Parts: sequence; C-alpha cells; structure tokens
Amino acid sequence: MSISIQNVAVDYASRRILNGIDLEINAGEFVSIVGETGCGKSTLLRLILAEERPTEGRVLVQGRQRSRPDQTCGYVPQKYSLFPDKTVLANVIFGLDVTSRGFFRKHGHKEEALRYLRHTGLNEADAKKYPHQLSGGMQQRVAIAQALIMKPPVLLMDEAFSALDPGTRRGMQQLIKDLWRESGTTVVFVTHNTREAVCLGTRVVALAKDCERGSSIVLDLDVPHLDFDTDESHLARLITRVESASAKSPQVIDETVTRIR
Amino acid sequence: MSLFRIDVQPARIPAWVLSWFLFAAGIAVYFYAAEQRHRENPDDRVMPTITQMVRAFQDAARNPAESEDRRSMLATDTLVTGRRFLISVALLFPAVLLGLHMAMFPYLGAFFLRFFQFFDKIVALSLLPILFIAFGIDELSKIMLIVIGVAPTVILDTVNLTKSVPREQIVKGFTLGASDFAITYRIVLKQIFPRVLNSIRLNLKTVMLFLFAGEMIASTDGLAYRIALLRRHMGMDTILPYVLWVALLLFAVDLGMSTLNRKLHPWFEE
Repeated sequence: MSISIQNVAVDYASRRILNGIDLEINAGEFVSIVGETGCGKSTLLRLILAEERPTEGRVLVQGRQRSRPDQTCGYVPQKYSLFPDKTVLANVIFGLDVTSRGFFRKHGHKEEALRYLRHTGLNEADAKKYPHQLSGGMQQRVAIAQALIMKPPVLLMDEAFSALDPGTRRGMQQLIKDLWRESGTTVVFVTHNTREAVCLGTRVVALAKDCERGSSIVLDLDVPHLDFDTDESHLARLITRVESASAKSPQVIDETVTRIR
Repeated sequence: MSLFRIDVQPARIPAWVLSWFLFAAGIAVYFYAAEQRHRENPDDRVMPTITQMVRAFQDAARNPAESEDRRSMLATDTLVTGRRFLISVALLFPAVLLGLHMAMFPYLGAFFLRFFQFFDKIVALSLLPILFIAFGIDELSKIMLIVIGVAPTVILDTVNLTKSVPREQIVKGFTLGASDFAITYRIVLKQIFPRVLNSIRLNLKTVMLFLFAGEMIASTDGLAYRIALLRRHMGMDTILPYVLWVALLLFAVDLGMSTLNRKLHPWFEE
C-alpha cells in the first residue's frame, strides 16, 4: 500500500472541512481527486503531503506517518512551482544538489537534469532561461522534471494544469500520463475538471461538499486504460456519473462508499 | 485634454523636458531671488550667488580645513562621513539575517518579534543623550544611533518580505530534500534579497539623517559637522554646495545599489 488515509477528519476554526475520509491508494496507481471548489480536495492533498495534520485519523505514506513534507512525495502545485531566482537548469538540479555532497557527484547532475528536461519537451536553450521567461505550460513541464528527477515514490499534483490554455493543457496531460507509465510512480492528481480526472486517472475519487458535516468521498471509481481518444459517449457517461455523484450531498449517498470496479 | 488622461503615453522629448522642468525652475527662482537680494544688499549672506558658491566649493575641494591636514576639507569630511555611513549600512545586513530567521523559525520569531515591534516605535533621536552617556561621544554612539534607528525597521521589513514568500516554495523545498537551513538560505533569502536591497535603499536617507544628527551634535569632523559649524558663521556659500554634495552622494549610492541589484538579480522584476 502506497498511501493509506484512515478515517480522517479535518477542522478549520471549529468548522469541519473533511469528514470520515478512508482511502487506500496502491503503489503505481494514478488517482484523480475531483470535486467542486471548496470541497477539500487540496486539503486532502496537503494531508498526504504532510503539510497539514488531520484533526482525527491518520495518513500513512509508504507505511509511515510523517510530521512534515519530505522526499517521499514530489509536489507540483498550480502556482509558484518554480524558484524564480534560479534558471530552469538550476531549478531542476536543486533537489540533487541539496541532497548530495562531493564535486564529482554534482558534476553529473547537469547531464541528468538536461535529460529530464529533454524528456519533458524542453531543450538546452530553455535550460538557461529564468521561469518568468517561459510560458505557463513550459513552467509546469519544468516543475514536473524538477519533481521527477528526485524519483519520488509518490507525485502529488494540485490543480497543476488549471491555469493552462486548452491546447497546452492537453499536451501536459499526455506528458504526465506518459511519464507515469514509464516511471511507475504513484500519482495523486487533484483537479476540478471531471474530464481531466477521468481521462488521466486509473481511478477517480469524487468528493462531495457538505458545509455542515464536512466533505467526504462519494465515489471511488476504477477507470482503467482510458485515453484521450476514448469513445466520446463512454467518456461522457463516466463524466456524468462522476459529476452527479460529486454534486450530491454526502447524506444522500450510501454511508459506505463502495469501490466500483 | 490629454494631460489629465490616465491612458496616455507621454512622448520621449516632452517627458524628458517635464522631468527636468522643476530642477530648472527651482534654480531659476533661486538665482532670481539671490540676484534681487544682492542688488539690495551686496553683502547678503543668506542667498549666495552662483559665483560665490562655486568659489566656496572650489576652496573646500582644494584647501584643507586645518593647516596640518593632508587632504582638502571636502575630501576629509566626505571620507569621515562616508566611513560612518558604510559601517552603518554594513551593520544593517546582520539585521536582515535576524529578520529572516525570525520569520523562518517560529520560536525565534516568538522571542524577538514583539520586542522589535515595540523598539521600532522608539524615537531613536530621543535616545541620543543615553547613547552619548553609554558609548561616549566617539564613533560608536553615532553608529549605534543609526543602528537603533534603522535596524528595527529593516528587521521588521525583512520579516514581512520573508513571510510573503509563497508557502508552496517552502513545501517544494522540503519535497526536494532541502533542510531547514537550505530552504532559509538557498530558497527564501535568495528570493527576498533584491527586495531587501530595495528596502535598504529606501532607508538610506534615514541612515544619513541619524548620522547627520549625531555629527551635528557631537563630532569634530564630517559633512554634517561642517554644515553645523558654518551655520554659526552664516556660511551659506559653502552650506548649500555641501547640501547638494550630500544629495549627490546619496543619489550615487542609491543608483549604484540599484544597478548592482539589477546585475546580481537579472530575474528580479519589480
């Protein structure tokens, strides 16, 4: 088991945000977490990241309960994903540099970083640029390379493509899916875009907002081997199913969410 | 009329003329008034003419104040004040580091923050007699006055700048394996440093203000000492060029820091 979220609840200022969250994510899965704005998707991601602690329950990653973010989880947020004071190359190398000692080891980092950059569709000329000189899509490519070069067992992406235009977004979706297939990393992908969630994930987890009792999982759906060229009507059925589930209040859904296979 | 439209882009030449207009007008008004006063009283010392000022400035730049001095009066005063100024500005950098640590390490913040918030409200000049008693009337008291007057502002500003670094950047650092200190120095300090330099630039005038206060009250050399000394003799022909000289020096330091900031941080966009 890669990630285990056990009966988790989160309170903010005596208001319950998440309630009774139970989720087991296996190593190598690509899990999309979807739900309307303010339903606690990002909070759930921050719990996995160990940036926040649950009020109740516990979150285990690789069998460990962590007290703060560490190398177990790579992280690609929607904004501020790159260090603005560093070039693209320095951004990608940063993790390797701070975790290793010795000149000769560091010497090999540049080649490795360039390899990752090429893999994400960037070239050596881009490597010399600063983040502000890149488009939003290119910045996210660098952020993905920066996270993946550390070979994290888990990659967490929080609305990572939300700010991108549709064309760039499509390219990035294909890229992350290809990289996931190659690396075998467990990916947890938070998005409010149901189509993106269904097309990317091998599993879609829908959260439904409940301002009184706290949001909870209302759908846990296996969607193996879907792709962007999947039959549109099949895709539409899945999207409707996920959207109708996440639009309902958790009270009207069965108390126990059954995983649909 | 396009003068009062907010969406106009002034043409280059009109913009240049406008930017220099107040300088030209100020100089013209001064010399007209000086001319009028000198017509009424040829011995007027309140508003010296340009010839008198040029002569006095040349005299200050060529001749020593005391016969035993090797350097000219202007050079000696500038060097003495400049040395005090540079030491004071250099002492602001530890203040930056303190502010950085206060914002990054919550226990340090809890220890220092309230104290500096209060200390920042103390009018530094009111401490001057205490400083003279505690540190004597030598260099230390003047430098301490500047440090006490400006350091709390720089510390609090650095705390705010540090806290403005997006949380995502710190989390990202942790996920890339950076330690607390690597995040503090290699991520946060590097990001805030151009803004810290700007903050110090904005405080340069305050540094000079405290330095002048110290020099005017208890000093035997320096630019402010000379101005205070000449005030007793109504030496406006030297005082005015000295005031402009100080402004020019500060302008040069500010320009130098701004250029250095741009060169050191090509990624930084205001």
